[in-house]
This record gives sequence, structure tokens and C-alpha cells, in this order.
Amino acid sequence: MKQFMGLTKRNLLVFFKDKQSVVFSLLTSIIVFVLYLLFLKGTFIDAFDSVLDTNEYLKTVIKEDDIEAFVNMMLLVGMLGSALITVPFNCLTTVVRDKENKVDYDISATPVARWQIVLSYFVSAALSSCIMTGILLTAGLIISSLQGGFYLDAADIAFAYLVVIIGSISSTALFMTFMLFFKTSQASGAFFGMLSAASGFVIGAYIPLSQFSEGVRSFCNLFPATHITIMLRNALMNGALERMDSSLGGMDGGVFAESIRESFTFSPYMFGNDLVISSSMIYVLAIAFISCLMMIAIYSGNYKK
Amino acid sequence: MDAINVRELSKSYKDVKAVKGISFDVHEGEFFAFLGENGAGKSTTINILSTILSKTSGDVKVFGHELGKDDNEIRALTGIVFQNSVLDDKLSVRENLYTRGSYYGFGKKETDRRLSGIRESFELDEIWNRRYEKLSGGQRRRVDIARALIHSPKILFLDEPTTGLDPKSRRIVWDHIDHLRKEKKLTIFLTTHYMEETAEADNVVIMDKGMVIANGSPSELKNRYSSSKLVWYTHRSQDAEALLGNMPHTYESDHYNISFKDSITEFLYANRNVITDYEVIKGSMDDVFLNLTGREMSV
Ligand SMILES: Nc1ncnc2c1ncn2[C@@H]1O[C@H](COP(=O)(O)OP(=O)(O)OP(=O)(O)O)[C@@H](O)[C@H]1O
Ligand SMILES: [Mg+2]
Repeated sequence: MKQFMGLTKRNLLVFFKDKQSVVFSLLTSIIVFVLYLLFLKGTFIDAFDSVLDTNEYLKTVIKEDDIEAFVNMMLLVGMLGSALITVPFNCLTTVVRDKENKVDYDISATPVARWQIVLSYFVSAALSSCIMTGILLTAGLIISSLQGGFYLDAADIAFAYLVVIIGSISSTALFMTFMLFFKTSQASGAFFGMLSAASGFVIGAYIPLSQFSEGVRSFCNLFPATHITIMLRNALMNGALERMDSSLGGMDGGVFAESIRESFTFSPYMFGNDLVISSSMIYVLAIAFISCLMMIAIYSGNYKK
Repeated sequence: MDAINVRELSKSYKDVKAVKGISFDVHEGEFFAFLGENGAGKSTTINILSTILSKTSGDVKVFGHELGKDDNEIRALTGIVFQNSVLDDKLSVRENLYTRGSYYGFGKKETDRRLSGIRESFELDEIWNRRYEKLSGGQRRRVDIARALIHSPKILFLDEPTTGLDPKSRRIVWDHIDHLRKEKKLTIFLTTHYMEETAEADNVVIMDKGMVIANGSPSELKNRYSSSKLVWYTHRSQDAEALLGNMPHTYESDHYNISFKDSITEFLYANRNVITDYEVIKGSMDDVFLNLTGREMSV
């Protein structure tokens, strides 16, 4: 156990001591944030307004502040969703770098069991992702409560943290299988560049997926990260929406809230249908499970030369 | 007791035969040197001996433990300093050594206890909290060696420990290795490109293209594969030629070069009145390599 803890601690230190790489792992989240300040916020509010424009009465009842709280949460979800992709990946590049620098030789010369090496990479990446996204989520919640307009109950918050944990584990499991195919850190670095550029779009951090064609939506919904983001959206944005809904006093029969959910993509879209949120959870867990099996199959042969 | 016995050891990578059936023994407490050029198979061999790579065929015993069966016993007995550093740049010396200690199941206290002597003699205290990346080449090497000694092994493998170091750092690293050899009675297994580093070895194995081409103490090897040279400063003359007879010799500007295998003392004594201005140049390990392979050693 000491050996496993030692390996895990070493991987965590290697990641967190390299400040540049820590910042780099949040690059997509930072881009989402900057773009939000520049114009994304405006487009989100426009999308919101387009629903409001359908009814003069809605405009008078729905408060500006509530809309503001709603779109701010959209930002937080986008940042979290992309961090849940880029942080575990970046942390896992240690696997490739260790091979390149023959650090794995050094470990192989010790009595550490081979499965412990693989598991420690997995655990340390999942942990650093939980830590980083956990901090991001906590900071986001604190800031939004300071701004007023905080409509989350304990269950919402607990669900958000749960999704962050599950998201960290499932992305790590998925990327772990990838890592074996990279021979050089240059290759994994190039892939990381691609990943951080694409991830914001795929999870709908810039433009809600509802804006796209069915084909694109189905494609994006193949990635577990998209489902993670949708779950986060349900956890963090429902509160503000329900508050607006209740201010309507049920006079529209929930049509307004439903159309907002529709246009900001609160449901997973697979096999040509909008599905309930629990199917996202099942999908993510299933992919994580399959990844773990692949990981065991691939790595069991890998550390004996 | 023998520290290491290697019999007919071979290793093939996918399409490269790196080691081709080598055999040799290392005695306990010995300073053993592996000499060879780039790609000779030195690193491959010591990586096999320290259980990192699996062998293709052959038998290896480390203190009687069979490689491939008792690997964990062998790991406890062997420490290795790699050709390229394997410690983490961003971590301090302390963090590097404690995490490596934990790979052997040691807590901080145990690692401290095992390193206490080394920390002092290797002067690690002053760099203890410094990041590994900030260290000089010589300091890094010292930490690398400390890393290899964390679990108090009986054999220390050193894979080209001084390559890339400036002469002063090389000297310092060598002083530390000498200390370990003499004070701690550690068996030292060195691989090197440098002829002069093998001069003090008890035993030298010369490897070329995956094969052992010579094996013996430095003086044995020199006697067998090189010749000493007598430089006699004199005019070229019939008398001189007659004196040298059938000893192989050449004349250059102002001196004769005479090479000989056996002792020159008697010859010099017998002719002490004629040969007055001379030098004796002993055979070197460079000659040994040249004679064995027909080429100069390239570094
Ligand atoms: N992982 C590997 N895969 C394929 N071939 C390899 C591998 N490692 C080494 N080789 C080949 O095996 C041969 C022996 O290499 P090795 O590293 O053992 O030589 P060396 O004597 O240590 O050389 P150097 O002085 O350059 O360190 C070389 O031809 C090398 O290219
Ligand atoms: Mg080598």
C-alpha cells in the first residue's frame, strides 16, 4: 500500500509542481471564460430573449437578474465540462513522458507490482481532475452566491459534485487507453492541442448543441463529456429556471421552462431522440466500464519487456 | 562468493540482436567494468541484470538467485544508476528520494535512516530542498547515485555515470564511487566508453557488437593485447640496427620506436652503455581495444 501511495503521490507532485502544465490543462476553460466576457454572454442572453419574445407577458415577469444568474451558470458549466476533458488528459501525459524518459525503467527495478504502476497513473489523474474541477466548481458557486441570485438547493449542489467526480473518473478511464498509443510526448501534446480546441464545441460550451443539425448533435452525444456537461447543466442551471417558472405561477403550463431547456440543451440526444438525464448517467458509466476493461487488457502486457 | 554469473545471455529486440550469447562472472566486492562503444549492448545487459528487461535466452544468477524466478530478491540486492537521469525535474531532491524510497515500502523515517551516511558523504544536505532541474550535472549524478542506494543494495550498476560531465565533476563523482567501493565494500558494475575509467578495475569485459571480445584484469589485457614501447633517442646507424636485431622497430626523425611484449628491463640493462637517452611507454587500454577490434575507440 505504501508503494501504491508513493507512486500516486509522485504522479500528483509531478503534475501540480509544474505550474505551466497546470495552467495549460485549464486552457480551454480559460478560453471559454474569455470568450464569455467578450461575446458569449451576449449570445446566451439573445438565445434566452428569443424565447421571451414569443410572449409579451413573459418579458414583464422574468427578471433580468434571474436571466443573468442563469447564463452565468451556463459559463460555469462550460468551464467545468471542458476542464473535465483537458485536466485528466494533461495529467495522464505523465504516462507518455515517463516512457520517453525511461522513468518506467526506474520503477521496474523496484519491487512495485506492475498493476500498481498502471493503477497509480489512473488514480492520480482522476484525483487531480477531481481537485481542479472541484475547486473550479466551489469557486463558481461562491462567486454566484456573492452576486445574489443563487437558487440551488443542497441536492443540486451534491449532484454537481457527484457529476464532477464521475466525470473525472470516466474521462481518466477513457484517456488511459489512448495514452498507450502515444510513443512521444510530442504526439500526445499535439493530440492535446486538438482536444482542447475541439472540446469546447463538442460539449456545447460555446454554442448550445440544440443549434446544430441532428447529425452533429448525435455525433457530439457520442462523447461521454457531452453527457457529463448535460448533467452539470441540469444540476446547476435548473435552480434559476425553476425560480423563473414559479414566478410565472404555472399560467403557461411550464411551456416557457421547457423551451429554455430545449434551446440550452438540457437533454442528451441519441438515436434520434431526446432522452432523459438518467440515460446520460448510464451511458457515461458504461463507457467508463468498457474503458477500464480495455485498460486492463492493454496494460497487462505492457510493462514486461 | 560470486555476485553475478552470466551464461550465454542473449537479448533480441524486435529486429535487433543487441546481446549475442555473452558469459562472464562478477565476484563479490569487485570493481567490474564493461567497456564498449555505442550500441555494444552494455545498457541492455545491465537492464536485464537488474530485472528491468526480460532476457531472450541464457542463465543469470545474482548472488545465487535465478533471474526470471527470484526477481524480487534480485531487486533488493541491486541498485542502478541509469545512463539518462530518471528523477523528476520539478521535484526537490528530498521529494525525489522520499517517493523512490516508498517504492521499496519505506516511510520517510526508514528512507532517512538508510540514507543518513550517504547524505553526509555525498554532501546532499545543501541541495536537499532544491529542485532537481536546478542542480548542476555533478550534483544530479550524486543524487542519482543516492537514489540507487536507497534500499542498501550489494551491487551498484553504473551506466556511463560520467558521460557528459566536465572533468572536475567527473573527478568528484569518481571519488564518491571509490568511497563506496572501499568503505562500503559494494560490488561496482560500471559501463563506460572511457578507457581510463577501467584502469583501476579488478576485471574488465570488452564488449563489441553484442559479444564479449576480451575479459581479464587491466594488466592481463594489456599484456595480452597491447605492447609496450621503447623510444630510443639516437642517430640512425648500422650499429643500432644490429643491436635491435629482429625486434620490431621503426625510425622517426630522431628516435627508434621499438615495441616489445615482455620485460624490457634486461635488454636495457645489458645495453646500458649504448642506450642512454630513452623512454618506456606502457601499453594502454586504447591499444587493447585497437588490437582487438582493428579500430580506434570512438567516443
Ligand atoms: N528498446 C529498444 N528497441 C530496439 N532496439 C534497441 C532498444 N534498446 C536498444 N536497442 C538496440 O540494441 C543495441 C544495443 O543497445 P544498448 O543501449 O544496449 O547499447 P550500449 O552499449 O548501452 O550503447 P551506448 O554506449 O550508446 O549507451 C543497439 O543497436 C540499440 O540500437
Ligand atoms: Mg548505454
